[in-house]
Amino acid sequence: MGPVVKISNLDKYFGLLHVLKNISVEVRSREVVCLIGRSGSGKSTLLRCINFLEEPSRGSIEVDGIQINIQNGTTREHRQSIHDIRLKTGMVFQEFNLFPHMSVLENVLEGPVTVKGMDRVEANALAEESLDSVGMLFKKDEYPARLSGGQKQRVAIARALTMQPRVMLFDEPTSALDPELIGEVLNVMKKVAKDGMTMLVVTHEMGFAREVADRVLVMADGEIIEDSKPNNLFNKPKDPRTKALIDRYRTGGG
Amino acid sequence: MSTITPKELGAEKSHVELLHEAQLRKARGFRTNVSVSWGIFFLILIYVFSGQDFLGFKTIQLDMEFIRSNIVFITRGLGETIRISILSIILATTLALLAALGRLSSIPPVYALSTFYVSLIRGTPLFLQIYFFFLALPQLGIILSGLSAGVIALGLNYGAYMSEIFRAGLSAVGKGQREAAIALGMTPGQTMRRIVLPQALRFAIPPVGNDFIAMTKDSALISATGFVHELTWQATKVGRASFHNLEALIMAAGFYWVMTIMLSYVQGIIETRLSKGDR
Repeated sequence: MGPVVKISNLDKYFGLLHVLKNISVEVRSREVVCLIGRSGSGKSTLLRCINFLEEPSRGSIEVDGIQINIQNGTTREHRQSIHDIRLKTGMVFQEFNLFPHMSVLENVLEGPVTVKGMDRVEANALAEESLDSVGMLFKKDEYPARLSGGQKQRVAIARALTMQPRVMLFDEPTSALDPELIGEVLNVMKKVAKDGMTMLVVTHEMGFAREVADRVLVMADGEIIEDSKPNNLFNKPKDPRTKALIDRYRTGGG
Repeated sequence: MSTITPKELGAEKSHVELLHEAQLRKARGFRTNVSVSWGIFFLILIYVFSGQDFLGFKTIQLDMEFIRSNIVFITRGLGETIRISILSIILATTLALLAALGRLSSIPPVYALSTFYVSLIRGTPLFLQIYFFFLALPQLGIILSGLSAGVIALGLNYGAYMSEIFRAGLSAVGKGQREAAIALGMTPGQTMRRIVLPQALRFAIPPVGNDFIAMTKDSALISATGFVHELTWQATKVGRASFHNLEALIMAAGFYWVMTIMLSYVQGIIETRLSKGDR
């Protein structure tokens, strides 16, 4: 079986700024890959290129067999492929981005009902199942404003899971949380990983990377400078920049 | 035998409870005070027009006989005023929404049309616009009834102002909301309808309510056409005929005031309903 995500020779410019430089990387099924690096290294941009929240400038993206070669201008076919890729990817944001005018259940129902046109009864069962799996079913009629940050993020994870994606993209899912709420979100993510979901996680949580990741990618200046198993990476980093990054988290306790 | 605590007797309350009660009392006290003061101001207003002598001051004497015999005639303008307001608000909201969306468009002519419309209409007086549709268009062979001319002018005018409100509402919806919708696989249309617009409308309702109230009163300008027998027209008609403008205009003013109070009340209900999920 081929990789779930295949990024080949990807470049991304913001204006004249070259933020991703000829990136190629593959993620296999059921693999958990953590992306670490200092802020501004391009790790979030890389993640956002996968579901085209950022349009890459050059190269190609393939998700579960749907391949898009970046070209100038858009065609109907190109847009359709982007839509198909978005259906295969679930995304979790740093700022949760729950829809504030909808209850927890409605948030989770929105994808299956509006996007997939699923029958409400069927979608309801699916949504409640996802909410249950993140331990948030008891708040299904609550509005997001009444939830804690950790609870919001768990609902956001449920919202993405309900679309039954092939791969989940996490963009610094715990960075906006109070320290005491980080654990509950990481635990949910561990559970998702254990259930066999393919995951790409941009994170500063070295403990999570070490414990859960199958591979860790280190990014710096728009390039992947290291790609190895967590044990190798944390014990004998090859690149001095990786060493600096890891040391900083060790001493800083972050 | 167990001892009875003061709490069970209800004799003593904790410090926190007392403090909480004091806060509630203070809030209640403020509200009652405001209501009573309103009542006093209202009584003063009535007294000023009562015709009574008071400490050597003579208050204004209204001809009650005139009021009694003409109130029904003036009331006949109410329906027309309400009709104009409703038709104009429908036209204005539609235009405002289109103009606000046009302002977000990446298609140059659409963007230009939206800004052009807002600039032209906001750059000319409403009174002139009403005259333009009623008096100037017939010269070009387009003859509109007073009502149509008035509704078109009011709708165009308020649409231009309200488009700015909608635009502000649309841009108040965070970028993250669109991104979350897009990441779920929503089309741009679905994102706008399901996610952005409902939130934008919630921001827009209070100022739109204000505009609706303002427009209800600006509908009085249409009386200038002389062919729309709304509240102000009816009032000036009887007032001028028997030189009782004071009584006639006060009656009309009373009707406008009651209407706007009712509209504010409805606005409040809608606001509460739309703000679900705020806390």
